[in-house]
Amino acid sequence: MIGRRTLLTGTAAVLAMPAIVERVGAQSAFDWKRYQGQTIVVSLTKNPRADNLQQHEKEFESLTGIRVESEQMPEQQQRPKMVMELASGRPSFDVTHFSLHVSKRVVGSGRWLVDMRPYLADRALTAPDYDWADMSPGARRAATQPDGRIDSLPLETDIWLIYYNRQIFQQKGLAFPKTFDEMLATARKLNDPANGIYGFVGRGVKNANVPVWTSILLGQDQETVTPDGKTLLTDTPAAIWAGEMYKSLLRECAPPGVVGFNWNECQTSFMQGKVGMWMDGVGFTPPLLDPKVSKIVDHVGFGLMPAGPKAHACPVFTDALGIPVESKVKEAAYLYCQWATSKAMLLNLVNMGGGASPRLSTYNDPTLMKNSPFGQEWLATLLASMKIARSGLPEIIPVTEFRDVFGIALSNMVGGADVAAELRAATTAFKPILEQSLKT
Amino acid sequence: MTAAAAVRGDHATKPAVTLAVAQLRAVNPYRYRRYLNRAGLYASVIILISPAILFFFWMLSLSLKNEADNTAYPPVFIPHPPTLANFIDVFAKNDFLTYGINSVIVSFSATGLALLLGVPAGYGIAKTNATKAAVLILIARVTPGLSFLIPLFLMFQWLHMLGTLTPLVITHLVITVPIVVWIMIGYFEGLPVDLEEAALVDGCNIWQAFRYVAVPLARPGIMVGMILSFIFSWNNFIFGVVLAGRTTRTLPVAVYNVLTFEQISWGPLAAAALVVTAPVLLLTLLMQKEIVAGLTAGGVKGG
Amino acid sequence: MSATTAGMPVAPRVRPTGKRNYARRYWLFAMPAAMVVVAVILFPWLFTLVMSVNDWKVSGNVYFVGLGNYQHLFRDPRFLWAVARTLYFTTAAVIAPMLIGVWAAVCFASNFKFRGVARTIFIMPMMATPVAIALVWTMMFHPQLGVLNYLLSLAGLPPLSWVYNSTTVIPTLVMVETWQWTPLVMLIVLGGIASLPIDPYEAAVIDGANGWQMFRYITVPLVWPFIVVAAAMRIIDALKAFDTIFVITNGGPGTSSETINMLLYQTAFGYYDLGYASAMVVVFFVLILLVTGVLLRMRRWEHGI
Repeated sequence: MIGRRTLLTGTAAVLAMPAIVERVGAQSAFDWKRYQGQTIVVSLTKNPRADNLQQHEKEFESLTGIRVESEQMPEQQQRPKMVMELASGRPSFDVTHFSLHVSKRVVGSGRWLVDMRPYLADRALTAPDYDWADMSPGARRAATQPDGRIDSLPLETDIWLIYYNRQIFQQKGLAFPKTFDEMLATARKLNDPANGIYGFVGRGVKNANVPVWTSILLGQDQETVTPDGKTLLTDTPAAIWAGEMYKSLLRECAPPGVVGFNWNECQTSFMQGKVGMWMDGVGFTPPLLDPKVSKIVDHVGFGLMPAGPKAHACPVFTDALGIPVESKVKEAAYLYCQWATSKAMLLNLVNMGGGASPRLSTYNDPTLMKNSPFGQEWLATLLASMKIARSGLPEIIPVTEFRDVFGIALSNMVGGADVAAELRAATTAFKPILEQSLKT
Repeated sequence: MTAAAAVRGDHATKPAVTLAVAQLRAVNPYRYRRYLNRAGLYASVIILISPAILFFFWMLSLSLKNEADNTAYPPVFIPHPPTLANFIDVFAKNDFLTYGINSVIVSFSATGLALLLGVPAGYGIAKTNATKAAVLILIARVTPGLSFLIPLFLMFQWLHMLGTLTPLVITHLVITVPIVVWIMIGYFEGLPVDLEEAALVDGCNIWQAFRYVAVPLARPGIMVGMILSFIFSWNNFIFGVVLAGRTTRTLPVAVYNVLTFEQISWGPLAAAALVVTAPVLLLTLLMQKEIVAGLTAGGVKGG
Repeated sequence: MSATTAGMPVAPRVRPTGKRNYARRYWLFAMPAAMVVVAVILFPWLFTLVMSVNDWKVSGNVYFVGLGNYQHLFRDPRFLWAVARTLYFTTAAVIAPMLIGVWAAVCFASNFKFRGVARTIFIMPMMATPVAIALVWTMMFHPQLGVLNYLLSLAGLPPLSWVYNSTTVIPTLVMVETWQWTPLVMLIVLGGIASLPIDPYEAAVIDGANGWQMFRYITVPLVWPFIVVAAAMRIIDALKAFDTIFVITNGGPGTSSETINMLLYQTAFGYYDLGYASAMVVVFFVLILLVTGVLLRMRRWEHGI
């Protein structure tokens, strides 16, 4: 029976992985080695989640006897390639790592991925301690298509928070802000371009920058579309307020050139000790605490997303693993997906700072609480964020186009354009696209 | 004397401008102007080649510096100490050897096929003054790459060929064949007719005249066509991005992959960029005379 | 797509050979090449034409819309802006290399010490892999850590935003294009200068013409065809420029550097709207053909044909 024993064993496994692998194998009747000898091709997006999977790949191979050929590709290439290959009916991979907030509806409407429900229910295919119900409701909901099919297993739920530089804050004698208005004021006070210090950095490049805006928007208790996904809420007063906040932060308090920054440029600026606050996903923590690349290893602070006038929430974006229906080794691929999202592996993920685990049990793990790899503040912020997490992007089919259209508007705002005018123009431009997509 | 020979610097002729200037000088009483002209010339040349020198020097510098030097500001120009770690990193973390071999295979094949197809084509077009065929080749040059990519991608998917290098070789022909044909038209038109006519009179058919007379005479042109077509095939990016699979990637695509998530790892990125472009730069260094001759002679045919 | 050196069609030349009955046989020499080019280009083109009159999104069904895509295209502000930007970029990316290239050709036509070495260095940018070059340029453009802003600061100038500002992004990209492709212009024009005949100059000197007059009335008209060829190649390549823009800015910031080719790629591979993208390809191709056609006419004009 699953209980504290397995949990404790699992935790010890962080230090001795082979142990748990044999344990799980020994305890369950289901057989990991059922598909041994087969080979699966895994297409991963280049990020710490994928690093975690590749680091432990050999353990999976010895556990199951299945050979894994995996590769990480930058997301800008992996995403369109994945869609094109799935659409053409001959994908080159058996497992694909993708972002639900980008591709969920597209893969759903094309019905390209295997429905996992029969697999999850099949005792011979799913390890007894896998425990689908352990996944947080939000994660399970994210992985479920509108028609009820579960075509992916959640791998990581990336909550957004504010990384802050304690040293810069101390120098100016300021406290970490609790609301967005306070954050803007603090950023302005921290901003010191003459000395090369900037108050805030966030993504400015189109498409990638939309989550920054939606994070602020959640403070007004509003998302970008109505819950049924049919009407745009992007030109409401709340949306304009969030746009103004975004514009002020990036125009007045951010490093020059921020309009071209994606998360990696922001991360670089922050790591060089030039920025007071950086708003982005928790999954980007590891390099900040790596002395080889970061100049501020001892000064990194982790702050909860500030509250807005009407609500206190932070966005969450889920990564998942799926199996194409054309795969010839679906069951072997399923074993991989299962292993990757198992309690042990997700614990590893959190321990190496690759992001937030979608499983509730991970946060009940006793050693995690004690030996949090990035300190107590990191863990506390992570846990608090999970409680207030909400969807950060609309769940619609043309989400890439959404991010482009509104991302362009946001970039223009940073360049000085009028917020209300840009948002209204973008809403008018995007409306027909949304309506078109609802017809199919 | 052909322009090609003139540019090569054969001693028999001087470019007309130089001659004209020399004649001018002879009549011009103000001799000091000659020195001013000369100084102006050298200054101009230095200004013209500085951007290239500075750029390649900086590229080399980035690739030989370690992480700390690369993120320093003000920027460090001479690495202290220089390190080869970036190059080792490039080969260790990415499968650059495989990608390099892919690039070599694709470019050699595309060039080889282009020669087989293009040299006769250039000959035929030159002999018949077939502007229509030349226009057809021109269309290949003018068409945007993306216009063939999607249909070709779908076709190769359907034929199960995307895991191989064949699709790349075939699409690269669109680049290499026009280059070879264009250069060969120029060379064949510049050939004196007498030898071929003598051969035909002696009873050769046109194929033999082509193979045993024209081709050997046009060897420099073939050389140039081969070099240029190899270089432009090697440098191609967009076909590789869409058509290449995991193991069939070419170097330009691979180097693009190194970017994007390792932004401040400028060392490995510069090292990767250098590795990708080094072969063609080396080829340019070794074959610069032929390349210049080929491109300038080809320019003559445009006139 | 990186440039090739295929050039304009050859003007018919009068040749002393009278073996007309070989004409048909000579055609066979060109057959294989023509067939390959047709096969690799014709099929995709037909397919693209078919796709352009359909609404085909990758995840949806295909249904016929006739000229709907085209109508939408001409009313689409994003496309129209892309056309404007393409023309702006192309004009600048042709004028600058032409001016510098002609100047360089004149310089390299003269004999001087180390000319060979200088010429080799000068043509290296053209031969280098565009993607690799673009990556290094991106590193040089970094606002805080890049070497270009550092050099500016040494000269006492304020730092520039290079590709991070919507007004300076296209001039910056034009600078990169110019750096890379001026050598091609130089080589073509050099071929022209090097092939200049001596007689007109001798006659002019005897007639008492000065340097400027010789340049204007002899050199320019004789070199003009080469200049036109170089301009034509630059225009076609600049219209189709992709690698550099894709790697350095990907059409950004916002859409400030989004040319037709970039929008095409995004529509096909970002939005998976293949029908619309195909229509865009057709219009783009027609645009390029029009420009090429105009240039061909200009050349024929010069020759008095």
